[in-house]
Amino acid sequence: MSLQTLKDLLEVSLTPSPTVIILGLVFCVVAPILLHFLYSTATPYTTLPSVLLLGPPGAGKTALTTLFERGPNQPPNGPVAKTHTSQVPSSIELSVNSDDPSTSYKTNLDSEGATAKKFLLVDTPGHPKLRAQSLVHLNSAEPTIKSSLVSDGGAKSKIKAVVFMVDAAALADGDALPSAAEYLYDVLLTLQKRFHSRNGSRAPASMPVLVAANKLDLFTALPAALVKSNLEAELGRIRAARSKGLLDSGVGQDEVAAGEEGDWLGGDGSEKFSFAQMMEFDVDIDVIGGSVIGDGPGAEKWWKWIGERV
Amino acid sequence: MLDTFEILTTSGVVLWSRTYASVSPTVVNNFITDVFIEEKSSVAGAKNGASAAENPPYKHDQHTLRWTFEKELGIIFVAVYRSLLHISWIDKLVDNIRAIFVGLYRDELTKPNTTIVECLTFDQYFDQQLRELEQAGGKSEGRAPKNEVLSEDTGDEPPSPPNLTRGQQAQRGASPGSSPNVSRPGTPSASHLLVAKAGPVAKMSRRAKKMQNTNSALASSGDEGPARKAKAKPVKRGRKWDADGLADEDDGIQLDYSIPTLTSDSEVEAGARPGAVEKVDASTWGSQAKGKFVLKDLGDEVNSILADADAKKNAASKTDAPSGLVGTGLSAIGGLFRNVVGGKVLTKQDLDKAMKGMEEHLLKKNVAREAAVRLCEGVEKELVGVKTGSFESINAKIQKAMEASLTKMLTPTSSLDLLREIDAITSPSATSLRKARPYVMSIVGVNGVGKSTNLSKICFFLLQNKYKVLIAAGDTFRSGAVEQLAVHVRNLKELTAREGGQVELYQKGYGKDAATVAKDAVAYAAQEGFNVVLIDTAGRRHNDQRLMSSLEKFAKFAQPDKILMVGEALVGTDSVAQARNFNAAFGSGRSLDGFIISKCDTVGDMVGTLVSIVHATNVPVLFVGVGQHYSDLRNFSVKWAVEKLLSST
Repeated sequence: MSLQTLKDLLEVSLTPSPTVIILGLVFCVVAPILLHFLYSTATPYTTLPSVLLLGPPGAGKTALTTLFERGPNQPPNGPVAKTHTSQVPSSIELSVNSDDPSTSYKTNLDSEGATAKKFLLVDTPGHPKLRAQSLVHLNSAEPTIKSSLVSDGGAKSKIKAVVFMVDAAALADGDALPSAAEYLYDVLLTLQKRFHSRNGSRAPASMPVLVAANKLDLFTALPAALVKSNLEAELGRIRAARSKGLLDSGVGQDEVAAGEEGDWLGGDGSEKFSFAQMMEFDVDIDVIGGSVIGDGPGAEKWWKWIGERV
Repeated sequence: MLDTFEILTTSGVVLWSRTYASVSPTVVNNFITDVFIEEKSSVAGAKNGASAAENPPYKHDQHTLRWTFEKELGIIFVAVYRSLLHISWIDKLVDNIRAIFVGLYRDELTKPNTTIVECLTFDQYFDQQLRELEQAGGKSEGRAPKNEVLSEDTGDEPPSPPNLTRGQQAQRGASPGSSPNVSRPGTPSASHLLVAKAGPVAKMSRRAKKMQNTNSALASSGDEGPARKAKAKPVKRGRKWDADGLADEDDGIQLDYSIPTLTSDSEVEAGARPGAVEKVDASTWGSQAKGKFVLKDLGDEVNSILADADAKKNAASKTDAPSGLVGTGLSAIGGLFRNVVGGKVLTKQDLDKAMKGMEEHLLKKNVAREAAVRLCEGVEKELVGVKTGSFESINAKIQKAMEASLTKMLTPTSSLDLLREIDAITSPSATSLRKARPYVMSIVGVNGVGKSTNLSKICFFLLQNKYKVLIAAGDTFRSGAVEQLAVHVRNLKELTAREGGQVELYQKGYGKDAATVAKDAVAYAAQEGFNVVLIDTAGRRHNDQRLMSSLEKFAKFAQPDKILMVGEALVGTDSVAQARNFNAAFGSGRSLDGFIISKCDTVGDMVGTLVSIVHATNVPVLFVGVGQHYSDLRNFSVKWAVEKLLSST
């Protein structure tokens, strides 16, 4: 009996009927695709989460990057490398203690025997002409950054958090504040638009933002609370100016209504802007002070913040 | 003397530096911003692989920077010294250091996800190079430093046997291919290239010559063996003949002992050499005192690295020739396949055709040829040697690169928020010690581009934001100009009376000096408490020296906070000259602050004028005029412009 059915089956499969041919063709086309997806998803280690480091030029982004990287194994020429204006983004691989995020970046996780969680810290250039490239990464609902940006592979890495670095000492004297705030405004607006551009009912993952007030080791630096209030005031001013300003070229008359809604940062109708208003869009903003060099508060708090979020 | 030498990556990390006198980091930062990011220098910035001599020196304050850029690895080599000093060997140093550094650390530099490069040992290499070049520079100007160095290493050795020298001389004199090199003091790479080109000819003639005087050639080769064994450093022994200064023109070639095929020395010599080297190595190496030999050792290594780099350069220039029929066929098929699938490493040939298409496309969009060519060159330079992504065609790659480079070019360096700027001037914060004064804006341009129209559009925008505006009629030349403004002012008054804006016209009739009128208007505005002064000027042809020269006086008298130039979107190639001349017309200390591009509604997609003028002057575009009404003024959006420029219809 069983032998008979087997024989029948074989016979059917070998007769040149349309169904068999179609089935065979479908198999030929689908199988490689299925295999591809099977294998491409089965390689989890290629997609480390990443933390994006933004901020105006001269804030200390690259310095922080080198500080974290050189943390565990201090080279003899000091923990921080000398840095200059960046032109291209760069990323470094860091690992944080997954059991206890508050472990200092200086501890060597290998020797401690702790379980490490790896992530990429992506340092971006702050020059205004190069900002557009960094902001592109935040545009989509699921912000990703191509790791091929720096290394080969082409796998996309998910952005878990954004660190916006400002120079607290420069914020005190006027000129630096507007440019820093303008950049922060663009970043927050991009994140807010991301919330609007969701497809389906699923809200995009929340995006924590850390405003890292750097250079607190300097005498002239503003404390973190003052940095926060200054930035909020400036952002409010920018928001007001943009709403009064001219339309962007390319915006047609009929699109005016749509355009205006998208460009208002934070809660509608509120007089003053505060970071808390961004909670509405799942953007959680913290302001923490610290210093990359000198004997200030150091960078431990930032590290802890990042560690908790990756 | 050299102030500082730095090796830094494009991501901003200094890999290695040596400082002799402290230089403010702003010097290098400004250099990076100006040359690489904003591309201000006349020669387009990041040229890959160009030697330091080809890159124009960058001057900042009292410092001069010589630099070279390794694009593949993204590393910049910069030497900073005082402008007052003239250091002839600085190019050579930068180039040599680059070759050595790349040779030594290539592997470490290509590691992903790290910024650490262990190069502590580089100190000694640098010291060695510096010492060599300094001594070389002091000794003579005419010769290539490297040759000098080599001859010096062996300078303490006894003079060579005379018959040897004669043999060499005879050979050299007889070879027509290499003799022109004698007087050439160029870098080794240059002389190397020359020899490589003339290679076969030189060799042939040399061989022919050798057949004739076999005697002398054999004598020299016979001599060589024993003489070499006697020395501690046999590799250098060849240079002993050069010490007399007669026969050292071929040193660049002799350095290539690492690549036998490239040496154009006689075969007899080449054959004799390796054996001798080994012998000496084995017998004397261990017993020598280390300390004494470290330097020479290093010199050897450095020279071999430099020679390697040269050889590679040579090889690269040679590989153009196809390797064979089957080989080319296969590679062609592979190339076609890669074209579709991606993962192809782009070469100049691949890009050439596609770049031509892109250039054509830009020209069609009314971009001036000059700007289109430079943009395409920039993109091409950026893409050569880059791998395409999977399933990415060359055209898509170029499109992407062009988009990035257009965005970078059109994006302004500083914020262009006009309202905030006005607020900062008219009501300064208590902490800044400035006095409140009216914000002065003036508008210049060629005849008939729409200066007065755009002025009134801006005025309308300001009035909507409740400013008190004074319009000064600076066109005291064309009949009807003042009346035209008066009409505008009357209209604007009616339109904005409800919203609380205030506007007035300041005019002194015709025939007066425009600069004086402007100055009086500003004084009047300050007195009457106006927030903003808008100064109209007479249209002038940009190549009319007499009219343009009066702009300098105008800028000095009126002291405008912003000078805007109105440019037509309709104008073609002439836009470059217009923008350049106007930008230069305000004297050395002043330039344009922005452009207004009028009549954008009349050109559709062909907004190439934007690119032409920004390319010519590096001054950002502020506003775009898109219609006939007062409200038809728009902020310039980079994204919009790039989309229009790259759209293909």
